[in-house]
Amino acid sequence: MAQNGKIRVAVDAMGGDYAPEEIVKGAVLAAEKDDVKIFLVGPTAILEKELAKYKLTNGSSIHIVEASEFIRENESPVDVIRRKPNSSVAVAAKMVKSGEADALFSAGSSGAAAISAIQFIGMLDGVRRPALVGSLGSFAPNTVMVDLGANVDCKPDQFLTFAIAGAVYAKKFLNVADPKIALLSTGSEESKGNDAVREAYALLKNSGLNFVGNIEGGDILNGKANVIVCDGFVGNVILKFYESIGTYARLWTERKLRKYPPLRALAGLLFRRLFPATKISGESEKQSGGILWGVDGVVKIAHGASRAPQIANAIESAKEAVKAGVVESMKSELAKFNQGGKL
Amino acid sequence: MSIEEQIKDILARITRVDKSIITRQSTFKEIKADSLDVVQALVAVEETFGIEIPDEEAQKFQNFGDFVSYVENRVAQKEKV
Repeated sequence: MAQNGKIRVAVDAMGGDYAPEEIVKGAVLAAEKDDVKIFLVGPTAILEKELAKYKLTNGSSIHIVEASEFIRENESPVDVIRRKPNSSVAVAAKMVKSGEADALFSAGSSGAAAISAIQFIGMLDGVRRPALVGSLGSFAPNTVMVDLGANVDCKPDQFLTFAIAGAVYAKKFLNVADPKIALLSTGSEESKGNDAVREAYALLKNSGLNFVGNIEGGDILNGKANVIVCDGFVGNVILKFYESIGTYARLWTERKLRKYPPLRALAGLLFRRLFPATKISGESEKQSGGILWGVDGVVKIAHGASRAPQIANAIESAKEAVKAGVVESMKSELAKFNQGGKL
Repeated sequence: MSIEEQIKDILARITRVDKSIITRQSTFKEIKADSLDVVQALVAVEETFGIEIPDEEAQKFQNFGDFVSYVENRVAQKEKV
């Protein structure tokens, strides 16, 4: 795993709205910690020029790895396999597969990162596609939701692997010993939901997991479940709606208190301080982005608009995920289901 | 093993469907293969048989049989050369 006590992170230096400038800057910030070794993957000439802007601190470990191509936002993510197998994100993924790196980080196209992970690193036994798991933060501190957008169309068996990933996350990061798992649907009855959800219900019911049945949208924040399972389409819509609540609640309150300026100012201040913490953005705002669960290696993705501080946080959390052994934990959970023929 | 059987194995491994449900008439949708599954299958088939399948040819495949026939022809041409 680590080499000389350093976790090695392969960074897709060309992925992101502000790449390579902000990615390199974020990598330099992350490299100030002495337990990480960063590989910046991309065209050497561009990255050397970017890296030359910084005076690296003693002990900083940053190296450039050549990748002549990169995936642009308007390109199809599947191009990473057929047309650009030597793109920065693909090369970074291959480094994880070969053991040259412990983790991959990309702020570029999420689809391209996911496809690189699937094709070049590979999935764990029993998992078809990676999933994004995220904690709901302050409104529901002991609840995670999965999938938050990695899989727009899902097959029923994927819901089971989402539940397993969510349970591992809840145990590892929220310290919930026996997470309650629920399926998000349009009603609590088994017969509610679309075909995939109804089929998933049967799989989860017979899974041996602590499945508590269906919950509705109104139950997301009430703690009925520690792991809420849904497809990535629904999860992503809820994630973005949830992230917007703080801003709109503040605007609404300020408007209502227009006639009472001191109260209005106080309310504005309180909202600004309270609501950023409720953002879930993948795992949490501080951690920036999310891990693709189910891949046979740590793959961390972040919003394309991330700036250097978020990039540094994301690299840091990729490093922490390696240290926490998330892949090994997922592997051992999956083994129980694979042995029972449930996956 | 025949070319058809080898391609069946590849598709079944990628889509995780039972190989026995794949027939020459099966569409990719019936095999539950999405666009990524198809691309992964194309790459795996190209590597297995040492051929290249251009995108414009792959887009013409209506069902599993079309895919197999194309690969069989390409492999036969390759052997002739």
